[in-house]
Amino acid sequence: MKALRRIFVALTMAGAIAGALRFRGKGGVPPQQGGWREVPPPTPGS
Amino acid sequence: MTGEAAGSPRSGSPAAPTIAVVGMGVTGRATADRLTEHGCAVVSVHAPRLGDEAGSFSPGDLTGVDLAVLCQGASHAPLAARLVRAGCPVVSVADQLDDVDDLLALDEVARSNGVALVVGAGMSPGLSGLLARHLAAQVAVVEEIHVAVHGTGGPACARQHHESLGRGGIAWHDGEWLERPGGSGRELCWFPEPVDARDCYRAALADPRLLQRCFPQARRVSARVSANRRDRLTARLPMFIPPRSGGDEGAVRVEVRGAQHDASRETVVIGAAGRVADLAGAVAAATAVEVAARQPPDGVVVLGDTTVDAAAILGRAQRFGVVLQEFTGLARATAW
Repeated sequence: MKALRRIFVALTMAGAIAGALRFRGKGGVPPQQGGWREVPPPTPGS
Repeated sequence: MTGEAAGSPRSGSPAAPTIAVVGMGVTGRATADRLTEHGCAVVSVHAPRLGDEAGSFSPGDLTGVDLAVLCQGASHAPLAARLVRAGCPVVSVADQLDDVDDLLALDEVARSNGVALVVGAGMSPGLSGLLARHLAAQVAVVEEIHVAVHGTGGPACARQHHESLGRGGIAWHDGEWLERPGGSGRELCWFPEPVDARDCYRAALADPRLLQRCFPQARRVSARVSANRRDRLTARLPMFIPPRSGGDEGAVRVEVRGAQHDASRETVVIGAAGRVADLAGAVAAATAVEVAARQPPDGVVVLGDTTVDAAAILGRAQRFGVVLQEFTGLARATAW
């Protein structure tokens, strides 16, 4: 029973550490200026 | 595999070529619709289901066809090989990395049979290569190309997206291919509206392979795909939730970094947003029309390469409904 409990605790800790490593990331910051501007299609024949 | 005509198939002329569209999923239908609107005679071919590879296809089924566009969910390489050997030019929207590698390996076969084989003519790869070439004209030296993708075309595309996150992603880094675990390398990417900001991750995407071929001078080429935590947790498991049959809204974003003649650094960004199947269908149709009209060189052709008129294909894709958007602000340097 004790061994089972240790295995369970070890697996839980391993999962928590792996999860934290997997989900960590720098993320990002939104652009502070500017935006998106539509690019018009070329006129046919140009 | 069965074929049915949409309109009146006839032996093609440069003005109105006869084009077979293989695969009548959402992307195939979007491609066929644009070709029909353009005045092409379209032969719609119902493709074998996933895993059936080339199925019972016989090249004789497409007698009189000027070109075939492959939009089916199954691997494209086996069918492309049979078509190319039969002397039929092929445009493939394949996006699975292994499938794209197999298609690239058909270069010699296509050359010896005197036909062009366009590899990756969907949204990503495809539109991504055209956008990279468009941006490359704005810098003197292209040093880095980074692609980000959001959304899926149809069920087959969604399965491919799911599987790609569970496999290692490739990136070109200072003259060598690096492989990193799928689902790693989170980066917040800003797409054109209405998609906006999405967390994107490494995955087994074909864009770096094709872009490195088009821009051999680039030191770094990478691609990421948007995903949520459920996508990443279940990437190595079967799909629990069936994908939506109609596909969804998505976007592609291409960032090119380079140097100008005065040694200043420049980062330029462009993207497109919309229903993924429509974007892919517009690019596939535009490519098919241009290939039928201009006859690119024999062998494997990649969108964004200098052997094809990327500006003409991109312009036609815009007329088929692709709305391009350039980022006008100060692009923040990412850590890619």
